[in-house]
Amino acid sequence: MNIASTETWLHRVNPTLKLLGVLFLCIAVLWIHELNYLLNLTVGIFILFLLFSGHRFKHLVPLLIPFGLIFLSTSSAMILFGQGVTTWFKWGLVHITEESFYRGLLVGLRALLFAALGLTFALTTKPVYLFYSLMQQAKLKPKYAYSFMAAFRLIPIIMEEFQTIRNAMRVRGVERQKGIRAVNFKLKAYSIPLLSGSIRRAHRIAVAMEAKRFTDANGRTYYYQLRFSKADLTFTCYFVFILVAGYYVAGWLPIFII
Amino acid sequence: MKPITYVENLRLKFPGDQDLLFKDLSLSIRSGEKVLLLGPSGCGKSTLLQVLSGLIPHSVEVPMKAEKLECPPSWGYVFQDPDSQFCMPFVDEEIAFVLENLAIPRKEMSSIIHKLLQQVGLKLNNVHTNIQSLSGGMKQRLAIASVLALEPEVLFLDEPTAMLDPSGTKDIWHLLKEISPDKTVLVIEHKLDHVLDFIDRIILFNDKGEVMADGPKAFVLSKYKQEMRDHGIWFPGVWEEYFREHPIKAKPLKMNNTILTLRNFTGFRKKETKIKVEEFQASPGEWIVIKGENGAGKSTFLHALMQFIKTTGDYKLNGVPIRKVKDLASQMTFVFQNPEFQFVTNTVYDEIAYSLRLDKRDSKEIDIKLQLLLDLFHLTNHQDKNPFQLSMGQKRRLSVAASIVREQKLILLDEPTFGQDSKNTFALLEWLEEYRQQGTTIMMVTHDDYISTNFATRVLTVKAGNIISDKEIDKKNRETTKVLSN
Repeated sequence: MNIASTETWLHRVNPTLKLLGVLFLCIAVLWIHELNYLLNLTVGIFILFLLFSGHRFKHLVPLLIPFGLIFLSTSSAMILFGQGVTTWFKWGLVHITEESFYRGLLVGLRALLFAALGLTFALTTKPVYLFYSLMQQAKLKPKYAYSFMAAFRLIPIIMEEFQTIRNAMRVRGVERQKGIRAVNFKLKAYSIPLLSGSIRRAHRIAVAMEAKRFTDANGRTYYYQLRFSKADLTFTCYFVFILVAGYYVAGWLPIFII
Repeated sequence: MKPITYVENLRLKFPGDQDLLFKDLSLSIRSGEKVLLLGPSGCGKSTLLQVLSGLIPHSVEVPMKAEKLECPPSWGYVFQDPDSQFCMPFVDEEIAFVLENLAIPRKEMSSIIHKLLQQVGLKLNNVHTNIQSLSGGMKQRLAIASVLALEPEVLFLDEPTAMLDPSGTKDIWHLLKEISPDKTVLVIEHKLDHVLDFIDRIILFNDKGEVMADGPKAFVLSKYKQEMRDHGIWFPGVWEEYFREHPIKAKPLKMNNTILTLRNFTGFRKKETKIKVEEFQASPGEWIVIKGENGAGKSTFLHALMQFIKTTGDYKLNGVPIRKVKDLASQMTFVFQNPEFQFVTNTVYDEIAYSLRLDKRDSKEIDIKLQLLLDLFHLTNHQDKNPFQLSMGQKRRLSVAASIVREQKLILLDEPTFGQDSKNTFALLEWLEEYRQQGTTIMMVTHDDYISTNFATRVLTVKAGNIISDKEIDKKNRETTKVLSN
């Protein structure tokens, strides 16, 4: 959220539109069973992620590690144990067939695409802008928008508190407790003060917000005015482009011949 | 003059409580008055402010009834915890939030934000600064700025400096004085040092939420000393009175052996050096107070000693290198500023017995020890309660009892007297003194000069992660401070 980055056109895309685009693609991908088409789409999204998220490769590469793991874990299960007719390899329970291999790749790519889309969105969208835009373009009630923004503020505070509780537990010797009962005990010892603290804090923030005359009434003005710009056109065109071009390229130049 | 806010025969009860918090309370504030609400913690001062502002029952639903109630037409509320009164991540956005609520046109916002920040003396290179990066004092300045955006006639201040160090406290009161000559101000505050020259009327409450006294400050302060003493209120001169009645017997018990030695010791947080100590030794029987501004590294120093954070250098405990110490918590203990974080069990008894049971001590032995400690810390009547149900003072006493039950020879305390009333504070200090006399080493972070001049045997001052002074306080010195304070 606070990672320094340069601004690209992707940052200037209206957050509501961006969210819709991302959601649309996520749902659309569920109906795509053509491996080559999906591969092209994934490449298209990776171009956005790598070139236009405004972050340096140095920071993006570590983010790719979990991507790889997601890809491997989702695809390998399907590849190794899926069903099919054309057997390539068989050893005990492991049974790799042509069909299972391609289906595995498809599932893996889908997971990879979801992850890349999500990250690209998160890296290029400030939460505050997203909620302002949702209030202005999607008519989200301020009540919900500001609650979410306040909740974002709580996250680092909760992490700090977690650290303090961990230290306190060490002083009390909680770590000396062993066994399954200890796990249950620790769960309680951590969660109760953490929850009670968060509830109290959330309550206080809510009271403070109302003390600052926050109401759900109409006629609010906005500090940030989010509008549509050229970047939105670029964004829409890019998504249409990868959807259309990806389809035709898959027909002309298939990487996998099934 | 017409009152700007008043309440008549207020009755209020929190759901689940046995008794009414207020029973037929009446109160009236005239325009332009500066009023201090004084009383023991838990007597309902904050609740009263919320009733007068209308936050109760509009924002916080509490069953209440009043024959007459008049809330001021325009008001602002500053809360005590700097971390839980903002809802936006950045400074400008937070003030803009208030302006948005008031439906001020967008074009005017930027100039208003700049004007307000200047008014409260919050100098930032960029108004779009993350609130999380501000110090406690700066956060409270921001809170005041966003309250001023409301252009209030009445200011409700609920311990606005509770979380600040002495210099931060002084600055904030200075600022509040500056901005409020023509405003009505209602203040709740426990630290009276700076607030007294700001206010002109005091309303004194007892622990049942009844008004004991109401009048000009000089009158209340001089006539109701005994009541304030009984309720543990920090009235001016309470320390001096305490020392008059309990003269400090000089007993520099410091032994010559050392319990803790440091050489080229460095503590890191996220790979950044946060505390650096070239050479330091502590002996049994020492009471070392660690002073310094907020963020100077006092707590970090204690955290480093307790190995909460990564450290390098030479660190020996009783001659054993720290890496070789097996069960560190059996030799030194740590008392946190917020006692709630330390509670792990469901009853007061279990809480104190917890560490002993882990040590697999005999249950009879545990019981004998427990009765002793429960009695010493005045918790016998509460031993079956849940720790979270206790009052502030009881929580503090329990956390100390539970921390020291293994008779560790080194006790580290991070602002243990924070938010405590005078009675609890004195009792806590007396216990610590007793342990010290038995040869325990005490290292304590505190802002309270009375503790450092009267209880400490040695005072460290920390600044920007370095110990900049290390002074022994001898008997003579103590006596001179005593004479001075009289």
